[in-house]
Amino acid sequence: MTAALGQSARSVLACGEVRTCLLPSFQALDGRAAAQLLRLRADEHVRVSERPTMYALSPEVLTGVDCRLPTSNGSKVRAVGTVIARAALTEGRLLQSTAYFSAPAAGPDTRRPWGQYLVRPGLVEPFGKLPQQATVEGVLRGAGRGELDLGTIAEGLLTQLRRHALLDRRVPFKSRPTHLRWVARRQPEGERASLTNFTVAEGGLRTMELRLPEDVPAAAAAGLCEDLALHDWLLTTVQQMLDNSRIGAADGPSVVEALHPVVVHLLHLWMPRAHVDAALGHLWDVLEEKPGFSRQWEKLSRRIRDRLALQAVTMPHQAFSPR
Amino acid sequence: MTEAVFRETTAEPVTKSVPLSHLSLELGHLYMEDFEAGPDRLREHFAEVRIWVDAVRASAARRSKRPRISTCFLIDDYFTRFSTPAELIPMVLKEAEKAGLVIDYLARESACAVADRIELAESVMHRLVESPPPGSYGSRPPVSQTGWLANGQRTPTMSRSALGEVKGWQPPGETAARNHSVFMDVELWSEKDGGRLWSCPFLAAVWQLARLGLLRHLGEPVLEPQDWKSEEFPHDWDRLPPLIKLTDTKAAFSAYRTCTLMPNRFLAVEDAVRLILDQIDVDAGALRQVADRSGGEGMAVPAAVAQRATYVFYEEPGDSSEAEGT
Repeated sequence: MTAALGQSARSVLACGEVRTCLLPSFQALDGRAAAQLLRLRADEHVRVSERPTMYALSPEVLTGVDCRLPTSNGSKVRAVGTVIARAALTEGRLLQSTAYFSAPAAGPDTRRPWGQYLVRPGLVEPFGKLPQQATVEGVLRGAGRGELDLGTIAEGLLTQLRRHALLDRRVPFKSRPTHLRWVARRQPEGERASLTNFTVAEGGLRTMELRLPEDVPAAAAAGLCEDLALHDWLLTTVQQMLDNSRIGAADGPSVVEALHPVVVHLLHLWMPRAHVDAALGHLWDVLEEKPGFSRQWEKLSRRIRDRLALQAVTMPHQAFSPR
Repeated sequence: MTEAVFRETTAEPVTKSVPLSHLSLELGHLYMEDFEAGPDRLREHFAEVRIWVDAVRASAARRSKRPRISTCFLIDDYFTRFSTPAELIPMVLKEAEKAGLVIDYLARESACAVADRIELAESVMHRLVESPPPGSYGSRPPVSQTGWLANGQRTPTMSRSALGEVKGWQPPGETAARNHSVFMDVELWSEKDGGRLWSCPFLAAVWQLARLGLLRHLGEPVLEPQDWKSEEFPHDWDRLPPLIKLTDTKAAFSAYRTCTLMPNRFLAVEDAVRLILDQIDVDAGALRQVADRSGGEGMAVPAAVAQRATYVFYEEPGDSSEAEGT
């Protein structure tokens, strides 16, 4: 894994942004097509996993940066290094891209030869001391003008993939992308990773803070955040579709029409921690406890199934012909 | 942590390792003009090179009591096709032998573009990560020029400012400049008859990566040497494997470091090679293997890949520079 080399420089912070959206393709992609889509490099494998869900992860690609870090207190800290970007496709249907980097507590006051940054992929070094708290807040708030912009990098990769020739650019239903910004503070090796904050904000923004032991690579944190972002997107999207279907008020085929895509494309996607690093799987527990991600999902899917069952009973001839 | 019971091989790609020497020593690089100048030219070349080979061996002996050094030689069959392996290789080997030199491995330059049906140059090109000029915050660098790679920011193209007046010339700037810039812009390829013709520095960068054991294709080693026991060589370059092993040396082709001996007219080309190497994101698995093993042998490699390549530039014997007309 690329991130492992970056570890040797003892980062104190890892930050990232995940963007989650529906793949613009009328049909879900199979494993082979997923591997083709995510083959960002001809000489490197796409990781494809078929169990328990079909999941494909692209090789990691780097973007060079030399700019100010996003900070909440206006401190201007120049930083140089590389940001890792990668993309994942789940069940051939949900596309995600992540941009992330790690930062050490301090760096040299001059820029090194570029080749020295490239051998530590995913590490961004501050000039001088890293203002940790201000950077954490800055990353979660989002980059200001000219500041290191994880969202731009993640979106750039997503845009590149959406234009891929494999995709017909037709979506089976409308949905909104979400973005999740995360920061992980490093803690000594051996301590248990923990999730300290998960906030659902407006406009599809989610923020999340965790504590990550030194021996867990930043890539594993990225994987956890992708998993949470994916399930949060599912909850958000299905809830929106239910709201739009006016499930309580309307009756007849219009409800079926509105809920049909949920059943066909989304209901089977719920599979928390399927591809999360073993050292981080337990972070899900906090969210299962409160607000109870899976409980909410069960409730939503039961409501949809009940509604469709009711439809089948009352209008048996129309229930399953939504179009 | 317990070992996982369930595994999926497609989900856990592996980077295979390659055998590594301490030093890969290149004894020469033959172009058509050298060949046309006749065997005397080669003889002079090897006689000169011999002196530096001894110096390089002495230098390697400072790092290890029993240095593993493999020698290699490159023949251009990419830019110009000349002669045949059957005619050329025995002559090269004979002249080297006369100077007391042994060539362990011999490669064709076209192997750096495509070897064993793998597009090496293309793959390496996709690994270029341009050095970001100050102000790069994650958007695509606006100055990026397809097919070119620089060590800094180019002179902006003449544009009108908001008020409409034409701005004067602005100098380019080297990103890592110390007080003053040495700006360099390297052409990576050109388009020729609808195909791509890789530039000499770019292929030489691929060659360096191969010698440094840093090339992989889907985790597998590429450009692996094939044993060549016969004294006979084919009459067609295409029938010669991309990289052949001519001796029974135990020293592997790839090595922790490289040293290249060449006439000083190649200085600019090799500077360009370093510029390229400095902006390639090489296979992380391969990089780690080399770092671990060289460290384990107490001769840790420099972190940056470009720093692992050294050179000896010597004055070409005789009046060869005139013969070339350059």
